[in-house]
Order: sequence, then structure tokens, then C-alpha cells
Amino acid sequence: MKKYLQVTLGIFTSIGGFLEVGAIATTAQAGAQFGFRLAWVLLLGTICVIFLVEMSGRLSAVSKHTLQDAMRERFGAGFFLLSTIPGMVVDWLVLASEIGGVALALQLVTGVGYQWWAFPVAIAAWLLMWKGNLGLVENGTALLGLVALAFVVAAVRLHPPLHDLAAGLVPSLPRSDGAGYWFLAVSILGALISPYLFFFYSSGAIEDQWDENHIGSNRFTAIVGMSFGAVLAFGVLTAAAMVFYPRGIQVDRYEQVALMLTEALGRPGLYLFAGALGITCFGAALEVALGRAYVLAQGFGWNYTLNSPPANSARFSLVYTGMIGSAAVLMALGIDPLTLTVFSMALTAVTLPLVTLPFILLMNDRAYMGEYRNGWIGNVAVVGISLLASLIALVAIPLQLLGG
Amino acid sequence: MNLTRDILDQQVVDRRGQRLGKVDGVILELREGAPPRIAAIEIGPVAVARRMHPRLAAWLQRWLHGHGPRSDGTLRIPWSQVKAIGVDVRVDLIADGTPARAWEEWLRDHVVRRLPGAE
Repeated sequence: MKKYLQVTLGIFTSIGGFLEVGAIATTAQAGAQFGFRLAWVLLLGTICVIFLVEMSGRLSAVSKHTLQDAMRERFGAGFFLLSTIPGMVVDWLVLASEIGGVALALQLVTGVGYQWWAFPVAIAAWLLMWKGNLGLVENGTALLGLVALAFVVAAVRLHPPLHDLAAGLVPSLPRSDGAGYWFLAVSILGALISPYLFFFYSSGAIEDQWDENHIGSNRFTAIVGMSFGAVLAFGVLTAAAMVFYPRGIQVDRYEQVALMLTEALGRPGLYLFAGALGITCFGAALEVALGRAYVLAQGFGWNYTLNSPPANSARFSLVYTGMIGSAAVLMALGIDPLTLTVFSMALTAVTLPLVTLPFILLMNDRAYMGEYRNGWIGNVAVVGISLLASLIALVAIPLQLLGG
Repeated sequence: MNLTRDILDQQVVDRRGQRLGKVDGVILELREGAPPRIAAIEIGPVAVARRMHPRLAAWLQRWLHGHGPRSDGTLRIPWSQVKAIGVDVRVDLIADGTPARAWEEWLRDHVVRRLPGAE
């Protein structure tokens, strides 16, 4: 039973942190514009995120510290502020994107413009954190998020040419529109490898009081949970590559993205798309807001908990309240959610090494990890992929801004 | 014991396991003819800011004194009250009512409790 609950944390982390507005938007655009050719980026991101999630669970199980506590302790207050401030800004944009994703799902179903949904969505998410507890949030999202399997069903029903998909798993250089190709590549990496995911996951591990006995099931959870998310994301990429790419349709509105499900599943496809987008983004919005509240509370040493009333952790509760309220304002102003999403994912990619490099140092620290230190494969994979993502993003973002 | 590794930036918890803050500063006592010894640990945003830049610390201190609970949130804990150093630094205190909780309690009473369902 305990192990089952742990896997739930994994699936929730995966649905909220892996397949959410960012992954749906970036992989749908990638499929529409480049067919299967960016599939390798999806694979690379999945490998990296499996390593990182496994590491954050292991760090907490062995050291009894959350990732943020360990970073503050090991690298000091200056580093904490240096990495937290850019992280906060980027996550605030990501949070606005997630609220936008839910609001757009509601627009698809009701016809009422997404700006009007920004505040109702934010209030609903806030109430769940304010009144609910972590268990309800996790299990609810994990269960309802299964509707995202519709992407996989659609992908299968479209009979994708498997040799094209397999060929896409091999890295290739773009034949045309290099700037757009690399910009989408880093946006996909930023969408999959989200720092809030690790902070959230390691905090969950501490709240559930993991110890060394959880290391095995933690590895299982990381691999299964994240692979589950990856399968869903591959479903999105495949459906987009089958429906949009042959017709030369560029996806620049969410309403268009819904077409890839209606093509395969008919009219119910629209509702399934709205359901999948809405639920996964809602879960992600909770995860981003809570993840940042955890980061600040742990970094400054405040009292925090989600399992007792907000009056018992005022500063912690006000951080997620403030973040979700202000992010909703951004959406209510009518900023285009799709553009904001893709850019905030690319910005996430830029800031990745600020988290992953110190994280890797911690995982190799004998004082923290003892015999449970990292192996070289995990080190190379995480450092290589995150540095690559950051460097390409630093070049691709200005090019995209100049070109588009 | 290594000051920066084992003490600085560690989590401080009170007698009941409540989180007080981080060890944001360590205060040493210089003695004639004897090695310096730790006099106290310091918790609070001003101590953090002092590690960045003294002017930032001065500005932050003024701002915190002028707003909310009119406290800069600094708590100095004499070394004699530090009971154990393990995963956390355990001190012989009750967190409630100390300056380290001033902002927490002010925000609780003036903001959080005014929102519905905070209890």
C-alpha cells in the first residue's frame, strides 16, 4: 500500500511536471513544423528527467534534507538568492502559462474567452492548496490525468509510420528554419526538465518520511512515472506530426492543437483534448506554486506544511497565494498563452544549469550521500544535457525574437 | 567541528521541532590569549543581507523596522542554548513569540486570518 502511494506521487509529479501546458504546446508545435524530426529531443529530455527525479528522491531519502535545504546548507545564502530569484521569475511565467492552459481548455468547452477564466481557475487552484492536503491533490490529478491517454489513443489510430518515428529518435540537423528548430528543441527540454519538479518531488519525499529503504522503489517510481509522461508526450508529437505536418499547418493557436484529436477521435476528441489540457495544466499550476513556496520556506528556514491550516504556516501560504494571484493577472490581461508558454519553457532551459550543476555536486558529496553517491552515467547525462540546453537556448531565444 | 560546514546555513528547530530559521550568521567572541569561541548564532534576513553587502543590510533593517510588526526579525541565540547539531540545529527555546517569528505571526494575524478558511 505504501509503495502504491509512492508511485502515485511519481505519476502525479509526472502528470503535473512532465505532461503539462509546456510539453503539450512545444511537442505539438514540433510535430506540426518538423514532423518526427525532433523526437530525439523528447527522448533526451526524458532520460535527463528520469535521472534528476531519481536523484532528488535519493538525496532526500539518504540525507533527510529536501533539495533546497541541502543546497542552502552546502552552497550558502548568496547562492540561494542568486539561483532563487531568476527561478522565481521564470516559474511565475510558467505558472501563468499553466493557468492559461486551463483557461483555454475551458474556453474550448464553453466558448467564453480565456481571459475571463484566469481568476476562477486561480481561485479553484488556490482553494485546493488552502483547504485540501497533498494526498487529495496528488491522487486527484493522477487519476483524472489519465484522460491524457487520449493523445496516445489518437496517435495509434492515426497509424504513424514507425520507421519515421524511429528515424526521428536519431539526432539530426535541421534542413531549413534552423532558428525555429533549435528554439523548439530547447523549449521541449525546458518543458520536460522543470526545476520545480525536483523541488516538489524531494519535498514530497521528506513529507512522506522516506529513508534508505525507499531507494529501490524511488528508482522504479522515477522510471515508470516519467516514462508514463514521456509516452503521453510522444502521443502528442505523433498526432501533431500525422495531422498537421503533411498539410503544412503551423500551430499558433491552442484551438488548432485540438484538431489533432478530432481528426482521430471525432467530436469527442475536442472534449478529450480540453479535459487533458485542463487537468494536466491544473496539476502543473499547483505543482509550480507549491514548488516555489517550498523553495522559499526551505531556503529561509520558515515553518511550512500543507497538512495543517494555512494559519500555521503564514509565510509559506502567502507565497503560493501571491504567486497564483499575480500570475492570474497576467493571463486576465490577455497575453497570448501559447507564445508565453513556449517562451517561458525556453527561459526555463536557460536557467537549468543554475539548479542541475549544484545538484550534481551535492549528489557526489561523500558527506551527504555516503555510499549512495551518483554514478558517472547520471553525472554525464545530467550535466551534458542541461548545459547543452542552456547554451542552445542562449543563442536560439534572441534569434527567435529577432526572426519572429 | 567546522563552522561553515556544520553550523552556518543549517536549519534551526526549537524544543518542539518547530522551524525557526536558518543559521544566517555566527557570532564569535575574541578573547585575549585564547582562541576565539562561538558566542551565539544569529537568525534573520538582516544577517543574510549582511553577508551580501552591508549597505543592503542597513537598508533592509530600516525597511523591516518601518513596516508590519516593526521588527527586523533578528534572533540571537546564545551558544549555551544550542543543544544538538545533527540534520538540524536544535536549540533550547520555544519559537513562538521570538523575533524570528515576528513577521510570520504578523502576517498570520493581519493577512492569513482575514482570508476565509485559514484556521
